[in-house]
Amino acid sequence: MKKYLVKRLLLLIPTFIGITLITYLMVRLAPGDYTTLRAGVQGELKQGAIGKEIIEQEKKLFGLDKPIPVGYAEWLWKFVRLDFGISRKDGRPVSARIAEALPITLRLNLIAMIVVYIISIPMGIFSAVRKDSTYDRVSSLALFVLYSLPSFWVGLLLLLVFSGGDYLNLFPLGGEISDWARDFGFFGRLGNRIWHLVLPVVTLTYGSFAFLSRYARANMLEVINQQYITTARAKGLSDNSVVFVHAFRNSLVPLVTLMATLLPGLLGGSVIVEQIFSIPGMGLLAFEAILSRDIPVIMAIAAISALLTLLGILLADIMYGLVDPRIRLEAKL
Amino acid sequence: MRIVIPAIILSLAALASCRDMSAVRPPDTLAIHMGAEPSHLNPITSTEAVASSINNYIYENLVDRDYDTLEIVPQLAERWTISPDRLRYVFHLKRGVVWSDGVEFTADDVVYSYERIKDPKVACAPLKVYYIDVTSCRALDRYTVEFVYSKRYFRALEICGGMPLVPKHVFNDGTDFNTHTKNRSPVGTGPYRFERWDTGKRIVLIANERYRGKKPAVRRVVYTIVAEINVALQMLKKGELDLMGVRPIQWVRQTNSESFLSRYRKLKYFMPYFSYIGWNSRRAWFSDKRVRRALTHLVNREAILEKLEFGQGMVVSGDSYVFSKNYNQNIKPWPYDPAAARELLRQAGWVDSDRDGILDKDGKKFSFTFTMSSGSKFAERLSTILKEDFAKAGIQMSINRYEWAVFVKKLHERDFDAVTLAWSLDWESDPYQLWHSSQVKDGSNYCGFVNREADGIIERVRAEFDPVARMRLLHRFHEILHEEQPYTFLYCTPALVVVSKRFNNVVVHTKGLRYDEWEPAGGAQ
Repeated sequence: MKKYLVKRLLLLIPTFIGITLITYLMVRLAPGDYTTLRAGVQGELKQGAIGKEIIEQEKKLFGLDKPIPVGYAEWLWKFVRLDFGISRKDGRPVSARIAEALPITLRLNLIAMIVVYIISIPMGIFSAVRKDSTYDRVSSLALFVLYSLPSFWVGLLLLLVFSGGDYLNLFPLGGEISDWARDFGFFGRLGNRIWHLVLPVVTLTYGSFAFLSRYARANMLEVINQQYITTARAKGLSDNSVVFVHAFRNSLVPLVTLMATLLPGLLGGSVIVEQIFSIPGMGLLAFEAILSRDIPVIMAIAAISALLTLLGILLADIMYGLVDPRIRLEAKL
Repeated sequence: MRIVIPAIILSLAALASCRDMSAVRPPDTLAIHMGAEPSHLNPITSTEAVASSINNYIYENLVDRDYDTLEIVPQLAERWTISPDRLRYVFHLKRGVVWSDGVEFTADDVVYSYERIKDPKVACAPLKVYYIDVTSCRALDRYTVEFVYSKRYFRALEICGGMPLVPKHVFNDGTDFNTHTKNRSPVGTGPYRFERWDTGKRIVLIANERYRGKKPAVRRVVYTIVAEINVALQMLKKGELDLMGVRPIQWVRQTNSESFLSRYRKLKYFMPYFSYIGWNSRRAWFSDKRVRRALTHLVNREAILEKLEFGQGMVVSGDSYVFSKNYNQNIKPWPYDPAAARELLRQAGWVDSDRDGILDKDGKKFSFTFTMSSGSKFAERLSTILKEDFAKAGIQMSINRYEWAVFVKKLHERDFDAVTLAWSLDWESDPYQLWHSSQVKDGSNYCGFVNREADGIIERVRAEFDPVARMRLLHRFHEILHEEQPYTFLYCTPALVVVSKRFNNVVVHTKGLRYDEWEPAGGAQ
């Protein structure tokens, strides 16, 4: 086990370098760069041409004149020392910008994930137990309808109906906490935050129920048709204890490993949801960085999520070994 | 569990008792919608329109343009003298002006700002261009600065006097100017000073108590960042915002209810700006001015304006600001006239000789690509209309969308057939950057417009200090543009602004709105 871990951890290094190198290549080779972009805003240019000379001068300032291998090596050397560089957009350290956006996204995604799991797994299991019943059919139809609704449309509609004031005025129009709630006590602030989270969480989750509940349903069906379940029933156990004691735990095995791969997903924000609900999270940060070719920010986010993905995969493999004794990690790589 | 359950109950209780109080604020606090967050507020290195709209109230310049007459008036300079050869500009500064941190503003600050603009280490390429012809800027004494120009240029006074000024004592501390921490907490001399910046949420300004002029009655200004404009309009309706620019569709369809009009003013004004379709004259199809004119005849500008912009705007025929004297009002835009277009195309040799429905000439088909930036809804919808209308005249047009960064690169490399874009202009037109033949290779004349007479006029305009003579030259230049049609000029679209009636004395000036003169109208709502 120890040998396996060391091997896997060492393997992370070349994989990580590969991922970040390709990312860096793509950013640098993509047409357009930070300096030229400043010539104008979206759809509109400013009068006043910028001579090539001045542009070249400015490119030098941002290291855009360096060959790609040199640029990448410099980035990697800095990254190893945990220096993510300075964002070109506002001249602040990238780590500060990520530190601002990360907690917001993390909070939103964690809550959304918990909600999705709590709702869709029981739904999936009931669907499996009552396979082909009216409940099974109606719920899967409903979930697939939800799945196919575009979130930018639903998000806006929710806002207009529930918080616009024209129809209902139940929720705030975006943001994370009201200005006036800053002086409240802990529970007041918590309540205010939850109040702000309701609509974004709904928008973020409704589309994910379908996938997870179908997944849970399929796993459960597979387990239910196993011989040991038949044995359990033959023993005369009640339906409930068969489903919840014997089948449920085994049907969770694939779900546990699925959770590990969700680790990097927690960090990625949804651009659409963040934009509609005015939430300054990771999604918008990454999106804006890509549009403005802000290389230090793009690279930092790409590197962090690459690292988390790799760790997530490793974690999933280890958990497989833990929950399923048939898999032995000592096996040759 | 014993702790968690009461906690949940308590927070649910707090949740249930939540009443939205976002719309409640002191009467002298103004909440302005901002669609995009500026990256920082350094007037030298910033290129964004949002940043300069905020900086306008924090920073000042030596001179300013009057809000109504657009004449150049003193701001931080008391007066100025210009040498007879028009190459030396001496500004005498007002005395006793202080930055918002209490330090006096002197000639050293002006020289320092100039040196930063010229400094190769400072990332301000778009600004540097304006100061290429300025050879020196030095302090003659504590309150006098002199700028020296290498050429006679009619905008020199405005360019020297309008140079962004930053405080030397704040920035000159040995750290990098581009990433200086004060870029996000500016110190200026204007009517407002910076109070707070909550990244991604808001920027707050407060009246500058050290301001030498009349203190503004609107004491606090909150720029609220809301990326989604439909949500912003809803926030305005709920009273969480006082001022926002709206889209034409919102102006026409969503802001006309009686209750809305009783609480908000709707203001419309035009800024120097125009949109256009540019034809790359290096391409065989567009090298002939008859063809370019024919294409203009095929663009139903009035109908498109009605359909896409809800009639909010006016069709223009030239590049000067449509309400300035330099715009030649005698020239009417070419009308929508497909018959005339066909005739012009025939004269230019474009006929459908192989009867496949597409015009051709010397074996080359009239089939080009319309390049646009994928973010622009206007371009998206315009292009589909054009495609259909051109097809009727036997011209095949395909559409290519690129992300903005790629689009800009294509422009720089002149790798396009036709594009649609807009220019935002200065108050006084200097056609040099856009139309002079020297700008064809690297400059903004990316459509490749070359005309000897126009070149002569452009050069004369630059050295002409008499506004009337300049106007005559620009009127002739306008005629040439109209004849040559390097662009199909489209529209000057207005700013559509909604302002809460919580404020009085909201005046629309030629230059737009200025909230430092507004008065809160009594108590909060």
